[in-house]
Amino acid sequence: MYVGIDAGASATKAVIVNKDAEIVSYDIVPSGINFRASSEGALRKALESSGLDLTNILYTVSTGYGRALVNAKSTSSEITCISRGVHRLFPSVRTIIDVGGQDSKAVKIDGNGRVLDFVMNDKCAAGTGRFLEVMSNTLGKSLDELSRLYFKSSKPIKISSTCTVFAESELISFISQGSEIEDVIAGLHEAIAERIYSMSSRIGFEKDVTFTGGVAKNHGFIDALSKKIGFNPTLPEEPQIICAFGAALAAIKKYEGNVSHA
Amino acid sequence: MSSQRERSRVLQTTRKIGELIMEYFSKAWDAKAQGKPLAWITVFTPVELLRALDIYPIAPEHFGAMCSARGLALDYLEEAEKTGYSQNLCSYSRCGLGYALSGMSGLMPPPDILITFRNSCDVYVKWWQSLHMHLGAPLFVGEAPYVLTLEDLDNYVLDYVVKQLEQLVKIAEEKFGLRFEMERLVEIVKLSDKASELWLETLKFRRFKPCPLGGRDSASDIFPLVVMQGTDQAIRFYEELLAEVKEKANKREGIIEDEKFRLLFDGIWLWYAFDLIKYFEDRGAVFVYEPYSEAWAYRLDASKPLESVARKVLAMGLNVDIDLRIERFLESIKEYQIDGAVLFSNRSCKSWSAPQLVTADILSKKFNIPYLLFEADMADPRQYAEAQIKNRIDAFLEVLGER
Repeated sequence: MYVGIDAGASATKAVIVNKDAEIVSYDIVPSGINFRASSEGALRKALESSGLDLTNILYTVSTGYGRALVNAKSTSSEITCISRGVHRLFPSVRTIIDVGGQDSKAVKIDGNGRVLDFVMNDKCAAGTGRFLEVMSNTLGKSLDELSRLYFKSSKPIKISSTCTVFAESELISFISQGSEIEDVIAGLHEAIAERIYSMSSRIGFEKDVTFTGGVAKNHGFIDALSKKIGFNPTLPEEPQIICAFGAALAAIKKYEGNVSHA
Repeated sequence: MSSQRERSRVLQTTRKIGELIMEYFSKAWDAKAQGKPLAWITVFTPVELLRALDIYPIAPEHFGAMCSARGLALDYLEEAEKTGYSQNLCSYSRCGLGYALSGMSGLMPPPDILITFRNSCDVYVKWWQSLHMHLGAPLFVGEAPYVLTLEDLDNYVLDYVVKQLEQLVKIAEEKFGLRFEMERLVEIVKLSDKASELWLETLKFRRFKPCPLGGRDSASDIFPLVVMQGTDQAIRFYEELLAEVKEKANKREGIIEDEKFRLLFDGIWLWYAFDLIKYFEDRGAVFVYEPYSEAWAYRLDASKPLESVARKVLAMGLNVDIDLRIERFLESIKEYQIDGAVLFSNRSCKSWSAPQLVTADILSKKFNIPYLLFEADMADPRQYAEAQIKNRIDAFLEVLGER
């Protein structure tokens, strides 16, 4: 068995694959402040649910913010891992839009899954999952509720500030002026979609397009961004584990490379 | 083991730069004690002319970079912010203003005159006006029109700048009782030209594979060209540097042992984060060209000293048309056999950062050169997200590695 661990800014994901690159098990836990603990936790849970133990693991590759702090044989960047993971699932995809807890990125890949170009958000958290988390706290609604309420809106308000802090106060003033909460929530989704759209436009939206990362679990976001780009993306069943899946694929490659060199 | 590798990353000559800088600042206090006038200048001011007049030039921008590199910038930045200067202003200007507002008992003696030229930077004039308001020292603002074509420069702009240089001389003579002698300017112009020649010659050795002079060297060794032009000391430094680099190149010795990627760096360096250069180098990537390194290297003609200095004021740095700058940028890709470009979008320097997206497009679409664009600030460490930037560097180097 081979393991990929994606120690992200907000969640840590562990994916176990067999030698045929099929997903055997996976788990997602909050990263907290200790990547080592969260990665061990995610891996333990993934092992438990598949009846495996540590002795079954031949090679582990880590990726994500905490990649260097995780117990793994080697590390790889998220860009490479996401591209590998997506290419394996959807060979026709040429553009990946990944929105995580602290980063958003757009990656352009060729028919072999090779990275041609990529862009990432600047230092600001406005176009990331953090933005939605802050707003979800402010509104006292869970992320699932946000997504549900998005679809109830008939006239989304326009959030003009791109800054998370300013947008938060803008949102409060809209609500105090009597705007419907679903319209405010729809406005928030459109703001984040707008931000991701303009960042990704630098590399374009060559078909097929897929959305990955934790934020791609949010149907409101998917809808808002799909409308911006003008067509529907190919969506993975569990978008949050694609990067860890790519790391697990890298683990197979690394292991086989090592064996053939031995 | 790491100390040995660490040593190989910086040239022996570069190790002397810290001392040279400290000496330059301490001599400024000596000059002050001897009653010599001291000028605070912006870095594209004609140092040669001031030296000929026996005015001692020091540059708050250089001071800002140095404070940042030594972890001292924050105190001055905060001092300026306490007074009300916005964090959105250039960090060099905040650092200089913070120093001016906190008593000026450190490296830079108080100025007797504030001199700037309206060239390259959009902050200079307002910054110098603020210093003038806070410190009361007389202010000279020179005007250097933006150079669209090198022909324009010859046709009508040059005379305009020469007249202003003459005016600066007149003001200095009247205010400080100094006497300007053309023969002295000729001598200084010769020395300045020699230093630029030596530096440009040194940079050419970076075309070698492996590259014998790294990013840390180029970012540090530029300093004598900025404020020490026209001194024997600058010449001695660059002669020594050239000899060392030449020898290394002949022995096929690189600044790193295993050179995998040759990179271009666009921007001013992040002075508080020299370890970022090491981060690249540890992964086999070496910087072989930066437009910044050529910014002060300007050949002068001693037979036309004043015109030559005026030309330098006009054509240095960012005062020339963007197309001319991009042209030079693209030439360098072939000259230095560049594999990838790192573009530093600097919150402090809009003039530098604004065209980077255009450049990036040309790089990737026309030349198929991958680039990495990241955002931070040159002197303000609070604008730096280390993990995020290193994350991008890893991804970028993996992309280069897959090509």
